[in-house]
Order: sequence, then structure tokens, then C-alpha cells
Amino acid sequence: YDYHTGDPKADLAYERQYEHQQTYHVIPEVIKNFLQYFHKTISDLIDQKVYELQANRVSSESIEQKIYEIQDVYQGCVKLINSDSRFIMLQKISYSKKKSGFDGFTTAHLMCFMLSDADGPAPLELPNQWLWDIIDEFIYQFQSFSQYRCKTAKKSEEEIEFLRNNPKIWNVHSVLNVLHSLVDKSNINGQLEVYTSGGDPESVAGEYGRHSLYKMLGYFSLVGLLRLHSLLGDYYQAIKVLENIELNKKSMYSRVPECQITTYYYVGFAYLMMRRYQDAIRVFANILLYIQRTRNMFQRTTYKYEMINKQNEQMHGLLAIALTMYPMRIDESIHTQLREKYGDKMLRMQKGDLQVFEELFSFACPKFLSPVVPNYDNVHPDYHKEPFQQQLKVFAEEVQQQAQLSTIRSFLKLYTTMPVAKLAGFLDMSEQEFRIQLLVFKHKMKNLVWTSGISALDGEFQSASEVDFYIDKDMIHIADTKVARRYGDFFIRQIHKFEELNRTLKKMPLTGASSSASNSTSRAT
Amino acid sequence: MATTFEQMRANVGKLLRGIDRYNPENLSTLERYVDTQARENTYDLEANLGVLKLYQFNPAYFQTTVTSQILLKALTNLPHTDFTLCKCMIDQTHQEERPIRQILYLGNLLETCHFQSFWASLEENRDLIDGITGFEDSVRKYTQVKVWMNKYGWTENEDGQIFIHYQEESVKPKNIVEKIDFESVSSIMATSQ
Repeated sequence: YDYHTGDPKADLAYERQYEHQQTYHVIPEVIKNFLQYFHKTISDLIDQKVYELQANRVSSESIEQKIYEIQDVYQGCVKLINSDSRFIMLQKISYSKKKSGFDGFTTAHLMCFMLSDADGPAPLELPNQWLWDIIDEFIYQFQSFSQYRCKTAKKSEEEIEFLRNNPKIWNVHSVLNVLHSLVDKSNINGQLEVYTSGGDPESVAGEYGRHSLYKMLGYFSLVGLLRLHSLLGDYYQAIKVLENIELNKKSMYSRVPECQITTYYYVGFAYLMMRRYQDAIRVFANILLYIQRTRNMFQRTTYKYEMINKQNEQMHGLLAIALTMYPMRIDESIHTQLREKYGDKMLRMQKGDLQVFEELFSFACPKFLSPVVPNYDNVHPDYHKEPFQQQLKVFAEEVQQQAQLSTIRSFLKLYTTMPVAKLAGFLDMSEQEFRIQLLVFKHKMKNLVWTSGISALDGEFQSASEVDFYIDKDMIHIADTKVARRYGDFFIRQIHKFEELNRTLKKMPLTGASSSASNSTSRAT
Repeated sequence: MATTFEQMRANVGKLLRGIDRYNPENLSTLERYVDTQARENTYDLEANLGVLKLYQFNPAYFQTTVTSQILLKALTNLPHTDFTLCKCMIDQTHQEERPIRQILYLGNLLETCHFQSFWASLEENRDLIDGITGFEDSVRKYTQVKVWMNKYGWTENEDGQIFIHYQEESVKPKNIVEKIDFESVSSIMATSQ
């Protein structure tokens, strides 16, 4: 496999050439067939694309660029194949139709269409990792193209003409169609419901859902929808599509780390935008712990490792924001990591530095999209940034509404009882304005918090703020939450550890030891 | 003819399932449903977000009146963050149109608890909330004035000052002390000699 270049035509020729040679590694027949078909499909696609573009008299640079794009995707798929050296036997692939040209020129898309439009379950077994990558890549292509489409400033007339004449390429509806049909075909929601209530998912799986291929594609499509809705700013729907998935369970349904990480990233982000800070913090802390623990399992050279790294950094950033808005205790090791990375920024955010908030948000947020095709006649240069600007604006407004709260909180922590007017004076505010800010404090610190149930949307209002207060006429009474240090737990754990050590030591054979010697050793403890 | 709200909700629920949610042909039904909510003082967040999404996907069908109704209804559900969710799905250009701009301003006043300014502003723009049954009541519930006024017999003074009073029992200093359960310790006790 390492001999594949980026050019499908050359690769195809290579495959055919080596077919008859002894030196070709032992590859099952069906895999060879698949690869040849694969190369041929891409090769055909390129031919077709070039033909169409030439017919439309698109410039040769544009044509070249199109070819590069297709080859990029092709390389992505080749990388997929190459990176999984332990993949299991591919059975015969049955293609019923081959989608033509304009609806998609990526293999990921092709496979999704194949799988969602086939007349019967494809008798295929693919590793979960592949299936996740297919969906992930699919949405990534949509994302890239949507952004490419909106950046009209540097485009040639021909490119714009091409786009104008082909509004259906990477249309948001076709993406949604694919994801929804994979969800429906597998009846993954039904299966999950039964699974979480302890029943047998097979009983509701249906013809397709019974196969692991479709079931997992359905599951990954749910995560795909979570992502898509988030990219479009619909946070409610984003979390809603996961309503049958128990996010708080320790076990992973999918066993694909990237899926887990991506899921928690988008869920956490949605919670943050919905002002469910406690839930966001819980989610981020969980997944960051998970990454910390499983880091060593990822090969450092893969591009996946870089992606996970990036998401790790982004989630630290989001956690920093959330903790600034809503201070609460989190796992010590994560907190330490956070302080190392963002300690300085968190201090500045606490002082109300809006710019830091916005910078961190820009770094850590998803790459928002618009679902509509732009009006190519009337697009201004920053059009592609609008979806992001929109979300940033909502976030910035929220930050501004809470601008005084950090300072107020730190003052509240200093006192237990005081006249309202006096505290207002310390804060350099009029009494009336201070009272208003106290109201804002109560309002913003009252979060919807998930407590039970499967759906992550569920929750009850809680004010689990570290600092709380009430006002009695002219006096403010402040209640601080002090958390005692957890000595007992620490000691218990250490005692168990030592006992374990002790037991192990006792079992160790002593060289040349007689039974009486080992007896005396154990009595000495 | 008069279907109950529950029936409507169920019918609309079907339209929002799966891929149907993105079908612009359902818009008129959904828009009527928003109007019903306004008139009958009922509320369905998911359906309203569905309308906003269809507007997002099909900008030609955008309706300022319906969007305004949705935003006002979201305000009646404070302290839920429905209003914020709506803002995330209305694009900049539309946010600057009247009366959406006014409603966003009112929303901001409520979120920052500037209730005095809010009521004053509302007085100047009473026509905004025309047709939204129970709007003022819902907002008052959020600002808790009514409840506390009833409970404590306070009256609103000329400035419309709002006094917050929380019961002493619910706000107390908390000392979170470590709790160790018996099981953790029992194994240690068993092995100690």
C-alpha cells in the first residue's frame, strides 16, 4: 500500500501491473477488487469532472484545483486504508447504483450514498474506526466546501459561474438526507432506547440495523448531526439528537476515541452557549480526563493525534471560559493543567477583559457555517465570516451582561454581613446599580443542570454557586461554601495501596529461603 | 374545529421528526402554531426553533412578525435561555430590523435585570406585545415582584423599586465536610491487627 502515489490513474495502473507478480503481498482477492474499483471510481470521477469543466470552459487552473481537491480526498481515503493495517476481511461489495458527478465528488460521500441508497444491506464488515472516519470526513468535506463557496473574493469569474450553475453541490439538504437516512435505516434510536432500558436492541433493529455496519453508521450519524446542528448554531437540536445516548455512562458505546472526543466537544460547547455552565464544565472535565488517560495509546505520527491535540487545547480554552463564568471545583489534575495553559488568561477574564474572552472563543469554537448558497452577485468579502460573527456576538453579549459578576463575587467572599450601601461603595457603584447587579448574579448563576435521565437536554434549575446571599432590607447576608480538604479519602487510598504492596511482597519468593524464614518475615509486619 | 392545543402539539411534533423538519412546505402550519401559542398563552420551544431553522435554510420565507412573536414568547419563558437560543439562529441583518431590534433590546434589559427601564420601555412600545397573551404576567413572574409583593405585603413605590427577599433558611453558609462511608473504612478495620 505504501506504493500509492496521489494519482488514482497511476495507482490503478500499478495495481493492475502487480496483480500477476509474486512480490505482491498476500492480499485477499476481495480487497484487491475493492481497491481496483475504488481507484477506478475516483479516476472516472476526475475524468468526468474535467470533461464537464472543460465543456463549461472553466480555466485550467480551476480544473487543476478541482483535481487537486478530489485527489486530496482520495489521499485521505488512501491514508485511511493504509493506516489500518489490521483491518478484517472485506466481503464482496455490492453496489447497486453509482451516483453521478454533481452530487458529490468524494469517496466518503459516495460510500454514504451507496450505503444509504442500496436496496438491501451491503454484506460488509468494516471496522468502527473506518465508519467513524467516513462520516467525519463527509461532514468535513461539506464544511470545507461551504466555506470555500462563500469566499468569493479571490475567485475567478469561471469559478463563480461554475458555482452559480451548480447550487446543488454539497447542498445542506443532501447532507442531512444522508445522515437522517442512515439513522432511520438502522433504527439506531430505537435500538439505543431498548439498550439503555436493559433490553435487547436486536429486537427492534430491523433488517439493516441488525448489521454492525449499519448500526454503527447510524450511531455515528447521530454524532454527525450533533456536529452539523452546532455548526449552524442550533444548539438545542444538537443536543436533542443525542437524547437516547447516555453521555454520563463510563463505557463507550462506540469504542472510537475520536468519536467520543468529538461528541463531548460539541455537547460541551452547546451547553456553554445555552448558559448551562455546570453541565459544560462537567462534560469538558470528563473528556479531558479521558484524553489524559488514553494519550499514550495514540500514535504520535498520525494526523489523528494532531486533531485530538487540537481539540484538547480547544476544550481547555472552553473550560477556562466556563470556569470563569461559573467557578466550581473540578478534578485537581485537570485544574492544574488548566492553570498551566490558561492561568494568565483566566485572571484577565476574571477582571473583565472582553478581548481575552473573544480571542479564546475564536480559537476554541467550531467553524460555523451558513446553510445557504450565497447570492454570487452580491457578496461582500467578509461574507464567509458572518456565521462566526453571529455566534461571537451572542457570546460577547452574554459576557458583557455578566461583566461585573466576577468582581462582585470576589468581594462577596470577603464578608458575611454588611449593609448593601456600604458594599456598593466598595465596588464603586450606586446602591441601585449594585442591587441590580446582585439580581443579575442570582439570575445568571441559576443554571439548568442535568441530574438524571437519559437525555442530556433534561435538567433542573440549581444555584450551586460557591457564593450565595440574601438581602434583608438594607443588609446583605452572604453564605460562602467552604469545602473541607479531603484527607480521609486520601488516607484510605494510600492504606489500600500499601496493603496491596504488602501482599505482593509476601508472595515474592525469597532466594534460598526456607519455610521458617518466610514465616518469620510475615510475622514481622 | 377547535382542536385542543395538545392535539396541535402532537401534529406539529410529527412534522418535526426526522427529515420532515427541513421541509419548507410545513412552514405555514408551523407559523400558525406560533400564532396559536401567542393567543392562547401556550408554549412550544422546539417548534419555534424549527421555524427559525426553516427561515435560516430558506431566507426568502423569513417573516418578521412570526420571528418577533417567537422572540417575545421566549422572553415569557425566562429564566430559561430560550431567548439566547433564538438569537443564535437569527442572522445579523434581520436582527437589525424593526421590531426585532426593539425586542432584542427589551430582552437585554430583562437579562440584565434593569426592570425599571424595561417597564418604561415597554410602555412606550405597547404595540410590540399586541397579541401575546399573558406576556406581562409571565415577565412579572420572572421578576418575582408579584410573588414577593403578595407574600410580604410590600407595595411598589413611585420609582418601581423591586425588593428582593430570600428566606433565611435557604441561604446559609455551607460547610462541606468530608463524608467517609463505612464500607471504605471497614476493609481497613478488618485487616488492621
